[in-house]
Amino acid sequence: MAMVDQPLYPIAVLIDELKNEDIQLRLNSIRRLSTIARALGEERTRKELIPFLSENNDDDDEVLLATAEELGVFVPYVGGVEHASVLLPPLETLCTVEETCVRDKSVESLCRIGAQMREQDLVDHFIPLVKRLASGEWFTARVSSCGLFHIAYPSAPEALKTELRTIYGQLCQDDMPMVRRSAATNLGKFAATVEAAHLKTDIMSVFDDLTQDDQDSVRLLAVEGCAALGKLLEPQDCVAHILPVIVNFSQDKSWRVRYMVANQLYELCEAVGPDSTKTELVPAYVRLLRDNEAEVRIAAAGKVTKFSRILSPELAIQHILPCVKELSTDSSQHVRSALASVIMGMAPVLGKDATIEQLLPIFLSLLKDEFPDVRLNIISKLDQVNQVIGIDLLSQSLLPAIVELAEDRHWRVRLAIIEYIPLLASQLGVGFFDDKLGALCMQWLKDKVYSIRDAAANNVKRLAEEFGPEWAMQHIIPQVLDMINDPHYLYRMTILHAISLLAPVLGSEITSTNLLPLVVNAAKDRVPNIKFNVAKVLQSIIPIVEESVVESTIKPCLVELSEDPDVDVRFFASQALQSSDQVKMSS
Amino acid sequence: MLKQIFNKLPKKSSKTDSDELSRSSESPRAAGKSQQRSNGGGASLKRASSSAVFPASMVSGIEPLVPFKDVPNAEKMNLFVSKLSLCCVTFDFTDPSKNIADKDVKRKTLVELVDFVASGSMRFSEPAILAMCRMCAINLFRVFPPNYRANGVVASGGENDDDDPMFDPAWPHLQLVYELLLKFISSSCLDAKVAKKYIDHSFISKLLELFDSEDPRERDCLKTILHRVYGKFMVHRPFIRKSINNIFYRFVIETEKHNGIAELLEIFGSVISGFALPLKEEHKIFLWRVLIPLHKPKSLGVYFQQLSFCITQFLEKEPKLASIVISGLLKYWPVTNSQKEVMFLGELEEILEGISMVEFQRIMVPLFLRLGCCINSLHFQVAERTLFLWNNDHIVNLIAHNRHAILPIIFPALERNIKSHWNPAVVNLTHNIRKMFVEMDEKLFVSCHAQYKEDEAILILEAEKRKEAWKQLEQVASLKPVIGNTAVLVSPLMT
Repeated sequence: MAMVDQPLYPIAVLIDELKNEDIQLRLNSIRRLSTIARALGEERTRKELIPFLSENNDDDDEVLLATAEELGVFVPYVGGVEHASVLLPPLETLCTVEETCVRDKSVESLCRIGAQMREQDLVDHFIPLVKRLASGEWFTARVSSCGLFHIAYPSAPEALKTELRTIYGQLCQDDMPMVRRSAATNLGKFAATVEAAHLKTDIMSVFDDLTQDDQDSVRLLAVEGCAALGKLLEPQDCVAHILPVIVNFSQDKSWRVRYMVANQLYELCEAVGPDSTKTELVPAYVRLLRDNEAEVRIAAAGKVTKFSRILSPELAIQHILPCVKELSTDSSQHVRSALASVIMGMAPVLGKDATIEQLLPIFLSLLKDEFPDVRLNIISKLDQVNQVIGIDLLSQSLLPAIVELAEDRHWRVRLAIIEYIPLLASQLGVGFFDDKLGALCMQWLKDKVYSIRDAAANNVKRLAEEFGPEWAMQHIIPQVLDMINDPHYLYRMTILHAISLLAPVLGSEITSTNLLPLVVNAAKDRVPNIKFNVAKVLQSIIPIVEESVVESTIKPCLVELSEDPDVDVRFFASQALQSSDQVKMSS
Repeated sequence: MLKQIFNKLPKKSSKTDSDELSRSSESPRAAGKSQQRSNGGGASLKRASSSAVFPASMVSGIEPLVPFKDVPNAEKMNLFVSKLSLCCVTFDFTDPSKNIADKDVKRKTLVELVDFVASGSMRFSEPAILAMCRMCAINLFRVFPPNYRANGVVASGGENDDDDPMFDPAWPHLQLVYELLLKFISSSCLDAKVAKKYIDHSFISKLLELFDSEDPRERDCLKTILHRVYGKFMVHRPFIRKSINNIFYRFVIETEKHNGIAELLEIFGSVISGFALPLKEEHKIFLWRVLIPLHKPKSLGVYFQQLSFCITQFLEKEPKLASIVISGLLKYWPVTNSQKEVMFLGELEEILEGISMVEFQRIMVPLFLRLGCCINSLHFQVAERTLFLWNNDHIVNLIAHNRHAILPIIFPALERNIKSHWNPAVVNLTHNIRKMFVEMDEKLFVSCHAQYKEDEAILILEAEKRKEAWKQLEQVASLKPVIGNTAVLVSPLMT
């Protein structure tokens, strides 16, 4: 193919590929836009490539999405910041398409470009773009425009600023709920750029409108803005404007709105100051903790610690703690579970006395909860628990819970508890572990579910790391090795896996005297799967043991396996042999 | 006993229902006032509404429990209002042992009301309409409880398999209220000119919100009622269409979650058949911006039948829209979801069945490019469904007429199937179609065959060429490092 002499037209390559029916090809070429741009050079990129892309708008959404993304990082290819505005037109068109992902990505790219642009360019090009989108005929353009105001606003001269605020106000009252939702979502970001004086007037009135929207979905998003706005205002303004709104929302008839309030009420405490927190927010929060709807209580319960941290200990003990007590016996397991995952964080807030007196009973009752998730959430915060109540008290109440969870019928619960065993072991110490938990760890190696056996093998390794090789030799290795004769080949396989994990931890000597003979023995297994796993394990052991052992024991075994009738066994054996040669060569 | 009910009930209801009241029934007359209220906190609100719960019964002093037949005609409307006021009390149905007697009184009263409305004996007075709307608002307009299954049970493995929709325990009463509302709206004794003041935008919005109910019985009631409202209140038609469109937009663009899409589409099915010709621009936009994108969500299967019906209705009105609809389907054509793909093929066949030659020719090239991919689908149902299109005489006729354009496009797909499709039935069908083309125009077939052989070689060559071109491009690009690059990376930090 003598193409080398042909002149190359980079744009032609792109155009040709973008016409291809195969979408994968079109995507590929868009992904390599930067290559084309570099080949073209900055000027031709500006004059040819970008205009071409602006016209190529009627394509698959996937291609458009890729285009929007690429253009976001295209500033260097058009000649740097001073030419960044040439990128705006294609993105503007992409802001108006139907598909949400494409629009979102275009807005993101526009923001990224706008953040780098020079002030005058923003005024000349970016702000007019925002205005055009905001007055777009179809709602998609108006939805997109809402996400651009916070970039446009700071650079605008005074008169334009007023105009932009007015336009935003109009968007918040748009006929289409989609636009109002977008305006509500972006209000916090926009407000952060607006001067304090206008914040109190323009933005707050916009906010008021949104909070009274007749669509549930819009009010919901307005709640989200509460905390963000609250932080921007002076405390007294926040008390005057935001507080009544949020207190009102906390009694909204839609549970979704109350749920939102429950989720972020604590963020407002700082903004309104301690007095209003005490008189207004605490009662509101307590109401949410006792809400009729479990979903709301779940959200509220999850924030108990964060909320308590802001309060004084007295307030927390007086108002929050009684609710916590109620929640610990809530009829919904999910509420109890949410509470269990955060309750330990309350201990430092309450102080030692209150913790032992009040929190501990709650904690113990959650630990005995009938629902495994709840117990699991408590156990997962074990290190915190230990600090607060001490190991003796803990181990008494903990063990029954752990034993029960270890045998839970949901394998994911068993998996979760296995993952906490090393942590438990380190907290409880060797002595405790030996009596109670050792047997459990062995039992998991014979679980019906592969993931559990796999995790159990890993667990054995981590225990060996925690307590050292000597302890491991005494307490776990014998039992583990016993199981290599199990009649079920899957369990034998688990043990082989465990051996390969243990070997690096236990070191050369123990491996060659205690582990290796068993592995070599397993090479005579009747199941091919065991045999090729032996080959794999041997391969992993080679770097650990002395070279003489490799020569005398491992190699002969592998040679034998490499003549096995089974093809897979032969494959893995020869692979292991090869790697042993490499190890030898490199050393 | 009645006294007891009366003394007990207003207090209980005033808290929960006050909001509803101010929103639904008073908004037309006192919109400004209700706004003030929602700002002004709880105290004043409670007082205002508790006296508003039973205003009519206090005024007329009629015993609501008296049967209609026992009062003179002149008093019947007052009794009607009084009975409606009685039904404004809502009960807690989660505990079946609570207020059994009271619940029964309300049920009986509702039955009486239904009978009275059904009898159609006299025109409804304005207070009666107001009372009816308020009673419906209090009973029906509620926020649905959260759906726990949607949130997913986290660590317990999501092993609870009960997929029953959640039913409102208050359904025995709700059903009667719905029946009453339906009879009321359909009644010839209801003057739409008066009623439109109370069955207003806010009332309709709330009604539409209820379509998200998980209970199919409730959605069915709503469907019939909204249908009647649309029929009776001409002034509200644009508003109803716009509001439903907003629900559709939100469903397609934002959430993909809504229980009532099928019912709403069913209403639209008959709305479309009532469109006047020539179609207004608004309606064409609806087709293009709403109905076509509704093909996108994953849950298409739930409302596919209704959607497809709407599309067919449109095309019956205006056959010239066929190519636009098909290009829309091609835009949203599913590539990984085979079940959806089969549905699309079904809809396509239906459209092709009625398409004119001109429209067909407009769309056939992209259409058959897509169908070529479908023929090669590894999912045998997709391949089979596509090949079945050739069983349709009208479609075969269209293809035969345009064979010079179509055969070259799908020839490679047919060849590929014969060579390598795993499913014998698909291979068989492909053979049949191949034969059909041979019989149709052997000369064309032979030339396509030759072209195919040639193209295969060219394709490989082109792929090579493309690779080579990119390689060169990369090289050229690497020779021209971006000068602005470093400056750009630094400048935002400095400013």
